[in-house]
Amino acid sequence: MNRLKLFEKLRVPMMLFPALAIVVLLFGGGMISGIGQSVGYFPVIGLQDFTLDYYRDILTDSGFIESLWLTFRLAFLSTLMSSVIAVLFALVLRHAFRGSQFLTFLYQIPIPIPHLVVATGIVLLVSQSGLLSRGAVTLGLTSTPRDFPVMVFDRPGIAIQLTYLWKEVPFIGIVVLAVLKSVGPQYEEIAQTLGANRWQRFRFVLLPLIMPGILSTSIIVFAFVFANYEIPLLLGVRYPTTLPVMAFRNYQDPDLALRPQAMAISVILAIVAILLLVAYKRLAKYAAET
Amino acid sequence: MTHVLIKDLTRRFDSVIAVNNLNLEIESGEMVAFLGPSGCGKTTTLRMITGLLLPTSGDVLFDSKSVLTIPTEKRGAVMVFQKHLLFPTMNVAKNIGFGLRMAKMPQKEIDRRVSEMLELVRLPGFETRRPHELSGGQQQRIALARALIVRPNVLLLDEPLANLDANLRLEMRELIRTIQNELNTTAIFVTHDQEEAVMLADRIALMFNGVLQQFDTPQAFYERPNSAQVARFFRNDNMILGTRRGSVVETPSGNLEIDAGRVDQSDGPVMVTVRPEDVALVPSDNTNLVQAKVLTQVYMGTHKQVQLDVMGHTWLAHGPADFEIEVGQTLPIQLPKTHIWLLPSENGLQNV
Amino acid sequence: MQKAVRWIAAISITLGVLLPVVPQIIWSFAHRWLFPNLLPTEWSLSSWEYVFTASSRVGEGFINSLLIATFVCFLSILVGLPAARAIALNDFKGKGLVEWILMVPIIVPGIVSTLGIHQLFIRLHLTNTFIGVSLVHLIPCIPYMVLVMTSVFANYGTELEDTARTLGANPLQVLLRVTLPGILPGLMVATMFTFLISWGQYITSVLIGGGTIVTLPMVLFPFISGVNYSNAAAISLIFVAPAILVLVLISRQLGQDSAVMGGFGRL
Repeated sequence: MNRLKLFEKLRVPMMLFPALAIVVLLFGGGMISGIGQSVGYFPVIGLQDFTLDYYRDILTDSGFIESLWLTFRLAFLSTLMSSVIAVLFALVLRHAFRGSQFLTFLYQIPIPIPHLVVATGIVLLVSQSGLLSRGAVTLGLTSTPRDFPVMVFDRPGIAIQLTYLWKEVPFIGIVVLAVLKSVGPQYEEIAQTLGANRWQRFRFVLLPLIMPGILSTSIIVFAFVFANYEIPLLLGVRYPTTLPVMAFRNYQDPDLALRPQAMAISVILAIVAILLLVAYKRLAKYAAET
Repeated sequence: MTHVLIKDLTRRFDSVIAVNNLNLEIESGEMVAFLGPSGCGKTTTLRMITGLLLPTSGDVLFDSKSVLTIPTEKRGAVMVFQKHLLFPTMNVAKNIGFGLRMAKMPQKEIDRRVSEMLELVRLPGFETRRPHELSGGQQQRIALARALIVRPNVLLLDEPLANLDANLRLEMRELIRTIQNELNTTAIFVTHDQEEAVMLADRIALMFNGVLQQFDTPQAFYERPNSAQVARFFRNDNMILGTRRGSVVETPSGNLEIDAGRVDQSDGPVMVTVRPEDVALVPSDNTNLVQAKVLTQVYMGTHKQVQLDVMGHTWLAHGPADFEIEVGQTLPIQLPKTHIWLLPSENGLQNV
Repeated sequence: MQKAVRWIAAISITLGVLLPVVPQIIWSFAHRWLFPNLLPTEWSLSSWEYVFTASSRVGEGFINSLLIATFVCFLSILVGLPAARAIALNDFKGKGLVEWILMVPIIVPGIVSTLGIHQLFIRLHLTNTFIGVSLVHLIPCIPYMVLVMTSVFANYGTELEDTARTLGANPLQVLLRVTLPGILPGLMVATMFTFLISWGQYITSVLIGGGTIVTLPMVLFPFISGVNYSNAAAISLIFVAPAILVLVLISRQLGQDSAVMGGFGRL
């Protein structure tokens, strides 16, 4: 009897323990080790004393500020555009019509495709010698590759944005679509009989219903883009580049003295991300309630 | 306060005719039930009245003016659904005030009217509650308040008493009737439950397969059904075939006297029916006696329900709760002259 | 109006999805494709032949990626399912904290932890090993598994399991015959996401694998930044193949099972 009781008491902790242990040890351990290095604890090269010098160096560096702004801009724009486009498509795809199932399948194709593959495809499509540029020549719009607008290795980062859009629109889209399908048309019908026009039905009935889904997927997307390394490295200009690229560059520099700086950059990256996400969530919660 | 006229209303879905040439006139301030089994076209009709669905042909008129060209949001035909009652993202006050907010009424005026409505549905002070904190009955009352606050031309209700337990049904019935009388709103509700229709409606429109069968008061459906199908829907399956000749119907088990002024079938083949509660298990005299064999008996508390074999047809009859009888026993039952109703015979008993 | 909107949606989805895919397919068969020709002037299979040579390391990368992703999925299910179930069906002290801990790796950029882990793993001799790479992939994978499966378990409830118990099924039979079949659609989606997260990892593999453990993205990477579009295209198509296969298997769940996708709404 007592053993049964004890088992019952330990059941939940036992179920949680393995997952928690791995996440806490790996993620938490990594965080602590990283933060430690960023404040000067790096015994491998003989650093032991606490210092905030690395943070000061970085925060006063104009290149860092520029990178931070670029990283933020890419993440913000990708998230915003993806959400808007995803909602628009979801509004169409939630209805059953001829071919809607096939269209929904097509719409989901980007979800499993790795970002690197997407980057390859985008380069082959929109670079100055890409398929679109060739099409422009064929149509007589341009005559040489140089006439075609620069979208890869450009400062605005158009190819980077396109890559993220292509990947994230369906991701946000299927979550919103799933919510819309489970909600059904009845709330809108009630609203309509109560006098709500098309826009009012979207603004006051649908949007509050799908907002939680949009928000949580947006946060995932924002966090992903904010911390992504390979896409800006492959498709962006060398300078200014995003914070993750900057951090890894410093980290992999043969000069080990740059490592604490890399750590400081990534800690700042994490802090900024958390702050923005908290602010965003607050703001959106406020927006949804009014 | 709106008079509703439904004229030759038809709706097809591909090859299926959901509503077939429906004609109904609903008086202003009346409460009408659309009754029928699921798929009979009652909900389709309701949606056409709101404008959520366009008719294939025919017309819907409010106060003699066609509303087909008026979009749902301007039609003033407000729907209250059975499920998905309240907007889950809004509190009670926001829910009730929704229609006024859509009409861009000043917030102060909305607040005032919302608390008025809450008084009316007997939930004062509920403004800041969230829908998930409310019971089913409370949700339904809020949904009603949300519909009524916009002073609808027509109030449309989807199974208003379903999902409520017995006590709540009565309470809700009283509330709906009181409010509807007070505001004098024309109201239509759909239901598959004849009991619900009888409890609430001034008149019932019974539909089968998209076709209106009978449009009448609840009492008429019990006393004067116009076909065997209608009678059956109102739980009366007591029928035998016969031939009417003046004030007598000849049946295989003898002649039955009828009240010629009460029935409306002319001489010729008819079906004779008597509701289970009108069959006399204990005859008071020797008229209209028919032999019956007891098949089963069930004690129902207030009465005893007896299943009988009457010339090969299964009948039901209600006897006193303490009625002593045995299964297999044969007894004469009486079909009281004043309770015999005649139905057209063309459907026959074969289709039972 | 509605028809026009649907047509616009259909055309933009079709074009939008296919446009970046088409040039990759063509490039993988192109031998000579000079500007501004819309199609290659000379075709060849040389890129595909190259892909299957040992020196390209595509095969090696493919197998490593597949083994790591499978191992990661296995571990994620093993530790993620019990955790998700515990969270979904129980109220306990500190539940909020547990959920928060398991959510953090999804929204906090993993770069700090990854760089930090590199130092730890060097000391633990886990760098340049299969296990080391798998472990670092687990960090984002377990939270996703828990996130999706919590929603699935909460939606599935316990009524069917309780019924089975009262009908005489022992715990193992309940698990195998009632619970698993019931949550399978959701589990497949969760496993797909987990697989794909691991399958697509680049920088973590580079850092912890240190060039000893070569995964497919690491093989592809230099070709994208380099000049050999044909090889890049062929490798990238190979990189996509398992992903598309998984999508075909579970696309029905993605579009319909709101409990599964609802997991992402719980964040």
